[in-house]
Amino acid sequence: MNAPAMTDKPAPRSERSHARRFAGWREHHGWSAMASLRRLGSRPLGTLMTVAVLGLALALPLAFYLLLANVQSMGDALGRNPAISVFLKADQASAQANLLAGELRARPDVAAVTIKTPQQGLDELATLQGFSGAVHALDDNNPLPWVLVVQPKPGLDAAAVDRLAASLRGERAVDLVQDSGQWRQRLDALLGVGHRVVLVLAGLLALAALLVVGNTVRTDIASRSEEIGVLLLVGASRAFVRRPYLYAGLWYGLLGGALAALLALAIELVLTGPAEALDGAYGGSLRLGALPWWLLLAVPLAAAVLGWVGARLVSAWQLRKAA
Amino acid sequence: MRRPLLGALGATLDVALSQECRTAALCREERESVRKGLTIPYPLPLVRQQGPHAVIRFEQVSKRYESGHEALSQLSFEVAAGQMAFVTGHSGAGKSTLLKLIALIERPSHGQIVVDGQSLAKVGRSGVPKLRRRLGMVFQDHRLLMDRTVFANVELPLVIGGIAPAERSRRVRAALEKVGLLAYERQLPDSLSTGEQQRVGIARAIVARPAVLIADEPTGNLDPQLAVEIMGLFAEFQEIGTTVLIASHDLPLIKRMHKRVVVLDHGRLVADIAAEEVL
Repeated sequence: MNAPAMTDKPAPRSERSHARRFAGWREHHGWSAMASLRRLGSRPLGTLMTVAVLGLALALPLAFYLLLANVQSMGDALGRNPAISVFLKADQASAQANLLAGELRARPDVAAVTIKTPQQGLDELATLQGFSGAVHALDDNNPLPWVLVVQPKPGLDAAAVDRLAASLRGERAVDLVQDSGQWRQRLDALLGVGHRVVLVLAGLLALAALLVVGNTVRTDIASRSEEIGVLLLVGASRAFVRRPYLYAGLWYGLLGGALAALLALAIELVLTGPAEALDGAYGGSLRLGALPWWLLLAVPLAAAVLGWVGARLVSAWQLRKAA
Repeated sequence: MRRPLLGALGATLDVALSQECRTAALCREERESVRKGLTIPYPLPLVRQQGPHAVIRFEQVSKRYESGHEALSQLSFEVAAGQMAFVTGHSGAGKSTLLKLIALIERPSHGQIVVDGQSLAKVGRSGVPKLRRRLGMVFQDHRLLMDRTVFANVELPLVIGGIAPAERSRRVRAALEKVGLLAYERQLPDSLSTGEQQRVGIARAIVARPAVLIADEPTGNLDPQLAVEIMGLFAEFQEIGTTVLIASHDLPLIKRMHKRVVVLDHGRLVADIAAEEVL
């Protein structure tokens, strides 16, 4: 079969023109990217200062994120088995303790109940430093009550644990209920505040990074106002004039973000030794974490976008003035 | 090696070596001459409308600045395609304002301006760069980028126009040869004399083959001999079809060129002297 006749014909003028324009546009993007990088390299000190400011600003939220993630991880490890201690009234005897324990074991929100006799309580107290003398002084007069250690069902939320503790407080034989999960709730609340603080801080520091890039690009544009004037006079569009400055913003952001990721890794490295010692002290149950790789990659990319946006905003304003 | 400025490339030769290659024989001839390194063809301008029609038309144009100063008042005149005209007058007569209005550096307060068939009133902000790409502009202070080579300066309008690198190189070298500066293509403008810098400015103005060439006091900083050479270059571009409008207050030079002269006084047209009437 013959090839279609169209293949022999040259492309229409408009198509050739679009192709030529696209090729020119692509070429200018490549040129702008390399020229802006060369311009950054031609003044190493200024570039280094800007990148360092950006790097430090972006590393701070990363460091806080690392700290919070590890505190949360420690909280998870330590508060994995929250228990409720139920202290019976002093006049309650073994039979009442066993009866109540049996009733509690039948509840759907209770996983296990352990009975601690007054003697076991006294023995535990005697093992604590400074208490052995006081325990011996008691002779046979043990003032400690019977205690039931109630383990809530795993996966129970804080409200359900609260309801369980409240119902235990309502038992006639019970004198005092101590919910060891409460500290975990307080820690969670504190971590919630911490997360919010990190988010606000990250937002503010991102804004600072935007302003740093914007100001750097602004001074760059101001110092090249003559060149911009010439370009506009010989027919350059604002997009054409703006392009190298946008790439400068992108490079600043990318380099600043990469430095921030490196700084965060360095902080992580510095903390590794003490963190391992802490983990060892808790028998290796703390599960201390590192910064995820995706975050280390995302920070330079997000910073590059931030730099581009900062340069775009400032250059649009500056060029409107120049035009 | 420096080339003589005047008469180096006549209109006939330019047509024969034009990039447009109107006949197969001319194309062959052109390719052969380039191959042999005999010459670099200078392309014809892209004049969109040929003939005696007006390429620049001012209709009752006034320009009042925000300060209240009226730079132009009820100005009407035309420049035909392929014509070369001077705009002259004392300092503050409105010469530069007139050129700024053509290049849309300023907008008129009243009246209509048509350039190359396009009413400037209809050119929006985004259309300004496109219009300027169709004009060649030469300034008294050259407006060159001193940190870029002569080649890069002349290349600018072509880079902006998205012309392919090989074509750019060919056209830049042709324009530089035309103004006699091909040997200086790798130098920075700082190393050139004022006259040479002006010629780089002219090469930049003509490299994109504009239909209209406007120049604001292009010989203002030059000695008389150089000024004559530069004006000779403009005359050569007119001879190959470019419409040329030059603002100048150098009356002896204007007289010497024997071209049409438009005289302004306080923003008003006070005389319009045809080329043949210039003594």
